[in-house]
Amino acid sequence: MLFTWSLHLSLAALLLGLAYKLWSWPRIDIGPACRDIPPLRRLRAGAGGFGRALLSRRGGAMLWALVRDGLFQARSRTHSPLAWIAHLLMFWGMMGLIFLHALGPVLIPDFTATLNPWLFLRDLGGLMLLAGVALVIFRRRKLPLLGRVTRWPDRLALGLLALLVLSGFGLQGLKITSAASYQRMVEEYGLLDEAPDRRALAVYWQEHYGVVFPSGQAAPTPELMARGEELNAESCLDCHARPQWAFASWPLSRALAPLARLGGGALAEQALWHLHYLAAFLALALLPFTKFLHLFTGPLLLMARAGRPRESLSPASLALLRALELDVCTRCGACSAHCSVAPALRHVPNLALLPSEKLAALKALVQRPRPESEAAQATRQGAYICTSCLRCTRLCPVGIDLQDLWLALKEELAALGLGPTTLAVGSQAHAQAEAQRSQEPVVPKANGFQQGLLHSAQADTFRACYCCTTCSVACPVVAQHEEPMKALDLLPHQIMHSLGLGMAQEAMGARMTWHCLTCYRCQEACPMGVRVTDILYELRNLAARDQGQGEAV
Amino acid sequence: MRFALFLGCKIPAYVPHYEIATRRVMAELGVELVDVEFPCCGYPLRHLYFRSYLLAGARAMALSEARGLDLVTPCKCCFGSLQRVRAFLEERPELREEINQELAEEGLAYTGAARVLHILQVLHDELGAPALRERVVRPFEGLDAAVLYGCHLVRPSKITRFDDPARPHIIDQLVSLTGARPVPYAGRLNCCGAPVRERNEELSLAMIRDRLSEARDAGAHILVIACPYSQMQAEWAYTLAGPEPQRELIQGPVLYPQLLGLSMGLGPDELALTQNIPSAEYLLSFLPRP
Repeated sequence: MLFTWSLHLSLAALLLGLAYKLWSWPRIDIGPACRDIPPLRRLRAGAGGFGRALLSRRGGAMLWALVRDGLFQARSRTHSPLAWIAHLLMFWGMMGLIFLHALGPVLIPDFTATLNPWLFLRDLGGLMLLAGVALVIFRRRKLPLLGRVTRWPDRLALGLLALLVLSGFGLQGLKITSAASYQRMVEEYGLLDEAPDRRALAVYWQEHYGVVFPSGQAAPTPELMARGEELNAESCLDCHARPQWAFASWPLSRALAPLARLGGGALAEQALWHLHYLAAFLALALLPFTKFLHLFTGPLLLMARAGRPRESLSPASLALLRALELDVCTRCGACSAHCSVAPALRHVPNLALLPSEKLAALKALVQRPRPESEAAQATRQGAYICTSCLRCTRLCPVGIDLQDLWLALKEELAALGLGPTTLAVGSQAHAQAEAQRSQEPVVPKANGFQQGLLHSAQADTFRACYCCTTCSVACPVVAQHEEPMKALDLLPHQIMHSLGLGMAQEAMGARMTWHCLTCYRCQEACPMGVRVTDILYELRNLAARDQGQGEAV
Repeated sequence: MRFALFLGCKIPAYVPHYEIATRRVMAELGVELVDVEFPCCGYPLRHLYFRSYLLAGARAMALSEARGLDLVTPCKCCFGSLQRVRAFLEERPELREEINQELAEEGLAYTGAARVLHILQVLHDELGAPALRERVVRPFEGLDAAVLYGCHLVRPSKITRFDDPARPHIIDQLVSLTGARPVPYAGRLNCCGAPVRERNEELSLAMIRDRLSEARDAGAHILVIACPYSQMQAEWAYTLAGPEPQRELIQGPVLYPQLLGLSMGLGPDELALTQNIPSAEYLLSFLPRP
């Protein structure tokens, strides 16, 4: 009763959740181009395009993608063979268990879970799933970067799976020892009328099937055993293979035998039974809102991308696809583990630098845009530190086009008034310098500023500058402007001179500092060996640090 | 001859033709390029995140070192950036020690053992012009080429140690051995504008447009490029300009390995000529008829 109810309840929750997802995807706007497209049109365009592609010449490629990247997860292999093996174990283990628990009894006539190969396969599936979960936990613990991106949804998913398998094994182990289960079977199928026969079979099952009778049974005499074997062959073998075939639950049942002997077996079995089904139903009900959703969305995306190239998608289909991609991500961390700029994380402690975290940040940004928040600033930093190297896109096991999402993220940020980080830091430094100038006359300060320049050993080479203007004459940025002083505030030689006077704010805020091409013509030309370009680089760094946008000190 | 190939971040997504042509030509010349998963060279990080820049660059060189290979890159900015990191670590031993402590966590170490080369250096210094000349079986005829030396390969010359910074000639020499004629023009040492594209599009575009029109004024048919950033800039300028003014600018940007490859007898598909913007197939008309 409880079982049926909770099964139906969790199935209903599953369907409701999926319906909610289907409702929400066409309502997520990523990139300004899709703003005005009504949700229904997005759904129609997406589904229609998918269907047409499936029926077109691309259909074969789509099915092949489903097999290669879905069933065999070929894309995972490129990023990490260990991760690939772990995921294959989990996937095939889980598929096997779903088949044996839900589909087998429906599809296969006379399906009997206690007969081989099912008895064996069930333990195999469970063990594969468990091994996969263990490998994933191992990787997440061993690789520091993966550890840092592991959050509660990852723990929840792994925990549920582990609970499911362990309670399943425990349940199976206790069942093997259970005298009550044995009694029930005897009453249902045994047709044993006489007491000696009952005793013979019980002894036989005690010896060969591992049943533990709390009150104990008679000694296994050869006669009893012979009669037991006969009865077993007559009444049991058709429906029950030897439990040793359940190669994982069997040793567990031996370990649990003392518990059964003390009479605690039934209670423990009850508890584990509840735990097992609770975990299964919870996973089912929560599926649309956990990582498990990728069981549905992953194959869909893999097929969609094989069906039509992204460039040919209409804005409506693209919007739907992008929204789907936000939900496909399982935070497996493949992208982050290989990210080109991940080393920056050490000095720029912002997890949004990593693709997997940036994707989550993008999701948050489009759902609740708050440009003033710290999160939005961090997202901006992540978006602009990215070098668009394409590696995450190439590696993503479910085939998310992250490169495209990053472009969309920049568009979203721009719409919120959040431009490139360097631009923002430069503008603020400029504004600060202006404000300072308007308040008080600029006076040279003591040369305390020199301590601020740390990066290159001879950063304070600016002291050698005697304002010969060679650098400013060589500078192509200066040459580009008719009135360079108006456009750039200070010319390179003036910046060097300002530094000599300790006027850091002026130097950092000069637009010249931010429009520098880093072409090194100034530095190459300087007769005094002033490292003009290197110093301009350092000024940008210092401004970022002053504004809390740079590296942690 | 074996090198670790440092593609950098821009080529895979934005200039795949450069990768195709480079791999093809190098294979033809018997140079083995080993793929290593490198991080960013640090170049874009340097504006705001100096320590990250050093770590990224040192990590790249350490990865190369760990494989016992010298590192070769087709990107001038990666080249310049890595050489600059090397110089920083040489002049600041305490910085080098700190970076090495960070690298040690992943079992890496930077000692400076691996050289950092641009592919042009491999062609010019390692293989040598005479050897290359022997491989040129189909020299161009009547092709005038403007060479963009760019910035980070040549300057700061004390650090990059590539060519004479005031009168560089190495790329001209490499171009002339393909049969093309290098033409001198005003902007050959100037910047393509890529570094400020994010912060100042107007200035960035003006820089590359100037290079293109200077080259056209000097009578060049093509602009020879050996850096993904400059190629991206030139292709951007063409895309924005539309078909009419395109002709006014110049024929188009060509990546040096494409030029060399064609003169070595490789086919247009092997060098991905159609992926250039505008397509570089017009180069074929400057090849002698077979």
